[in-house]
Amino acid sequence: MNILLWTIFLPIGASLLCFIFRRAAGGAALIVSAVGLALGAKIFLAGQLLSPLLALRAYPFSASLYLAASFLTFLIVLYSLKFMAGKERLGEYYGYILITLGAAAGAFFATDFLTLLMFWGLLGIPLYMLIGLGGDGAGGAAKKALMIVGGADALMIIGIGLVWCLTGTLRVGGALLPLEQPLTVIAFFCLLAGAFAKAGVMPLHGWIPAAAESAPAPVLALLPASLDKLLGIYLLARLCYDVFLVTPNSAVSFFLLALGSLTIMAAVLGALVQHDLKKLLAFHAVSQVGYMVVGIGTGLPLGVAGGLFHMFNNAIYKSCLFLCGGAVEFKNGTTDLSKLGGLAKTMPLTFAAFLIAAFSISGVPPLNGFVSKWLIYQSLIELSKINAAWIIWLAAAMLGSACTAASFVKITHAVFLGRSEAKAREVHWTIWLAPVTLAALCVVFGLGAYQLPLRFLIAPAVGLIGLIGVWDPLLAAGLILVSLSVGLLIYFLGNVDALKTRPIFAGGEELPAAGKVSGVDFYDTVRQIRPLALIYRAGEKRWFDFYELSAALLRWSSAWLVRLDAKIPGIIPWLRRDRAFKIKLLGALIAAELLVEGLLLVSGVREILTGLAALAMVAAAFYLAGRLGGSYANE
Amino acid sequence: MNSPAVLLLLIALPLLAAPLTLCLRRSGAWLAGLTALALTLLITWLYPARPFNNVLVFNQFGPWLVLDGLSHLVLITADLTALFIIIYAAAYAGKYRAPSRFFSLFLLLLAGLNGVALAGDLIWLFVFLELAALSAYLLVAFEGGRDQLEASVKYLLIGEGASLLILVGCALVLRLTGTFNLAGAALALIGCSSRLKTAAALLFIAGFGTKAALMPFHSWLPDAHTAAPAPISATLSGVLIKVLGVYALARVLFNVLGGSPPLSLALMALGALSILAGVLLAFGQWDFKRLLAYHSISQIGYIVLGVGLGTPLGLMGGLFHLFNHALFKALLFLNAGAVEQQTGTRDLKEMGGLKQRLPVTAATSLLASFSIAGLPPFNGFWSKLFVIIACVQAGQLWFALAAVLGSILTLASFLKVQKYAFFGRLKDQFGDLKDVHWLMGTAMAALALLCLLTGLAFPLVTGYLVNPAVIALANGTGYARMILGGQL
Repeated sequence: MNILLWTIFLPIGASLLCFIFRRAAGGAALIVSAVGLALGAKIFLAGQLLSPLLALRAYPFSASLYLAASFLTFLIVLYSLKFMAGKERLGEYYGYILITLGAAAGAFFATDFLTLLMFWGLLGIPLYMLIGLGGDGAGGAAKKALMIVGGADALMIIGIGLVWCLTGTLRVGGALLPLEQPLTVIAFFCLLAGAFAKAGVMPLHGWIPAAAESAPAPVLALLPASLDKLLGIYLLARLCYDVFLVTPNSAVSFFLLALGSLTIMAAVLGALVQHDLKKLLAFHAVSQVGYMVVGIGTGLPLGVAGGLFHMFNNAIYKSCLFLCGGAVEFKNGTTDLSKLGGLAKTMPLTFAAFLIAAFSISGVPPLNGFVSKWLIYQSLIELSKINAAWIIWLAAAMLGSACTAASFVKITHAVFLGRSEAKAREVHWTIWLAPVTLAALCVVFGLGAYQLPLRFLIAPAVGLIGLIGVWDPLLAAGLILVSLSVGLLIYFLGNVDALKTRPIFAGGEELPAAGKVSGVDFYDTVRQIRPLALIYRAGEKRWFDFYELSAALLRWSSAWLVRLDAKIPGIIPWLRRDRAFKIKLLGALIAAELLVEGLLLVSGVREILTGLAALAMVAAAFYLAGRLGGSYANE
Repeated sequence: MNSPAVLLLLIALPLLAAPLTLCLRRSGAWLAGLTALALTLLITWLYPARPFNNVLVFNQFGPWLVLDGLSHLVLITADLTALFIIIYAAAYAGKYRAPSRFFSLFLLLLAGLNGVALAGDLIWLFVFLELAALSAYLLVAFEGGRDQLEASVKYLLIGEGASLLILVGCALVLRLTGTFNLAGAALALIGCSSRLKTAAALLFIAGFGTKAALMPFHSWLPDAHTAAPAPISATLSGVLIKVLGVYALARVLFNVLGGSPPLSLALMALGALSILAGVLLAFGQWDFKRLLAYHSISQIGYIVLGVGLGTPLGLMGGLFHLFNHALFKALLFLNAGAVEQQTGTRDLKEMGGLKQRLPVTAATSLLASFSIAGLPPFNGFWSKLFVIIACVQAGQLWFALAAVLGSILTLASFLKVQKYAFFGRLKDQFGDLKDVHWLMGTAMAALALLCLLTGLAFPLVTGYLVNPAVIALANGTGYARMILGGQL
């Protein structure tokens, strides 16, 4: 069997085994995801592979995405072994993760729109089930996720139909459609909805924060944080450059830039005021996707490279963050920021991994998040040559980055710094291994950006990139290290001893022993800034949640129709009328029947016989029925 | 055995088994089950016996019984679904004092359905239609409660009114052509442009449309489907409205009257209206079975929309959806029946967390929900896909949008069912529920498996089962030449 088919059918087949042999599910999932990773490496090294069955094709871009997906799945399954141990319905959990991996392989390698659509839609089912595995409130979150993702998939069908009619082929990239005719634009937006729902671009983002409230951390790390981003942005890139032609300075490019900027800013503002670690991270999962959309939306090779690089980076650091969050939850039993604190001492490895990933997402050089953002900024500056609006997009991107940093200062302080009486110890090695590996990858991808990821992951997809800025990661890292050392030197040589700690004076009151300043509430000030206050208030009323708005519209129109339907004159009011009326009704029916018979009589002898036979049979049936049905009411 | 007379067996077998079942009393279920099994095997066995894309005609007093691709699809759908419903009912009907009466009526219904699908003559079509409909009225009232009787009488009055319209339509055809024979009438109507022909077409649309519960003619369906015992709701929704409504309508409109663009447009508009209004009405329901009933209206809309398009892809989608909908909607009604039997309620708000106590019911209803909502790789995905792409291909973007919207709202509505009935916290009073009788579980599991297999192996099903039906319908009045071939 073809190796590409193995990547799909091995995990899906193994998932059935997981459903049946629940005890062995974890081990089986680990082995299968390791095999998936090996297959991914083999496909990646092979470069080009084809499978006539299902019309699959691996080329460097899709191979690198599958490699990333299988790598993350493997790490997260490893993490889950201890993390999920003892939970209910583990067979289902591992089974759905494997289905996700297999379906993602199918979506990455599909060259045929129908194959793509099938696997794309299939991904919704394990997503729904995995989110639904959470606590009691998970049903609603799972429903919301599948509604948004599945609804967008249904729209994609129209897009695919239109592309088929316009080009005569169902091959992805069979023909390049310029976005000029209205039909082409409709097709583009229909397909775009599928990509955006998966990736969580506003306004189709609502399912990610909802899922974060109840789904287990590894599920969040796998699906909304990494795999769904990889898939969504992969499709976006294919759509913008293989199926349709998005040119710089076009209306569609403007739309993508605006939507991307809006996503960055709105989601980061939402993140700033969250009090729950997982939910805060979920808002960032939405915000980061804005950068990718902005990068790809520029229509410039540099921007596309930046967007795609950011996609890989985001998968790495966002999974890492969610996994660290999970580790914290695992040891402390809560993700409420105001109840956590001081974990840096007790969970040093988790803290280190979290800190690196937090720096990376905030775009601190020389980590990978900075490099990809830097590429995106460069492409926006290059856009300045042809479009005046570039400054808005650049401002949104940079301001978003600053707010990201601000909110991670808040988390880092609230969770890991400060005083705490918590006696949590470092987690089991299978739990810290995944975040630490990912954090190490953040550093490697940052320092060796040009040598490794850009050369092997991005260049094969977008070709050579003309850089305009100057950035030497190693030199910069060296300078940063030097300045840090100088700072440390000053710290130790200076008069640190002169610092004294005093008990807090609170108007003469004794502070409770557990009393600590978490600093979380400090960020609530953001809520009170004049124009923002209005936005937040509207947001809390769910004015920006596309899903809630549509649901409200649906409920309203449904209630209206139900009322209308009840008014359609039914038979019931007639039945409640008096007996005389019923007799009249029956009389009318019989008269009509006679009329028909008359019609029959005037039109031929043989047919009369047939008609009479028919009527006799009807009568016989009535009689039989009457005999059979006569005694029901008494029973 | 290879003579066309074997077609007679398809009707005679259940007709003869019906009184026998009545005599057998308690073990009537076995006879009914065996009859359904025999019918299913017979119709499957007939598949290779019927020349591909050709017809098998029982020629006694003119072409009396005709088996072509379309009939074959409908018969397999009806008998296969009925088989599983009877297996389920064998356990479900245990609570009645006289279950044999139930199965006897069921077999009469089945005889009527088979007869409608095979009839080569308008009057015989009407007779069998009445047989099926009468059994249905009685079965709806079977439990004898106030709601059941009211629903049954409502169904009877509306249904008989529709029958009358159909009969008048038949009379008009007779007036125009001098024959009730489908093939003969079709031949005589070629090139006829009388106003009576249009009138007949409209009468048939209204009459068969009522039987199919298309949107403005739907008001009988929600009550009847809610009140009927679960296996009967499953039969009505899964099979009856399609055979009596969609099949008969398509047969008469396309193969006899020959179809025309305005008629197609009317069908598509009715279909789109049913899709949207049906699903919106369904969304507002909290009674499990009533919700399913409104979804039947909506799903019938997909079938009619696809058939109304008339393009090969549209017909393919519509007819494939007919087959698929029979499977998953029957399954959903059986699920609802299982839940009602175990918990004693149909109100979704009173359920919750039933997944923990009714695992088979929950799992099969999840598969059926995914199927009806059109998620891949289940069967409903492919048929809806064909219908939507066919709409786009025909340039009917608005109809395509209606179908897509309907699909999204269907998903919403079934996720609501899942959320309220099966997910969430288990209510205290359901703490010691047990899952249903194994026969019911087997029937539901088999239907769920069929939904999945049909989805995975859809090229086989569309190629061997649906395609001949598409060819038969697309052939239009060529149908007549095929049947009368030897006699011309």
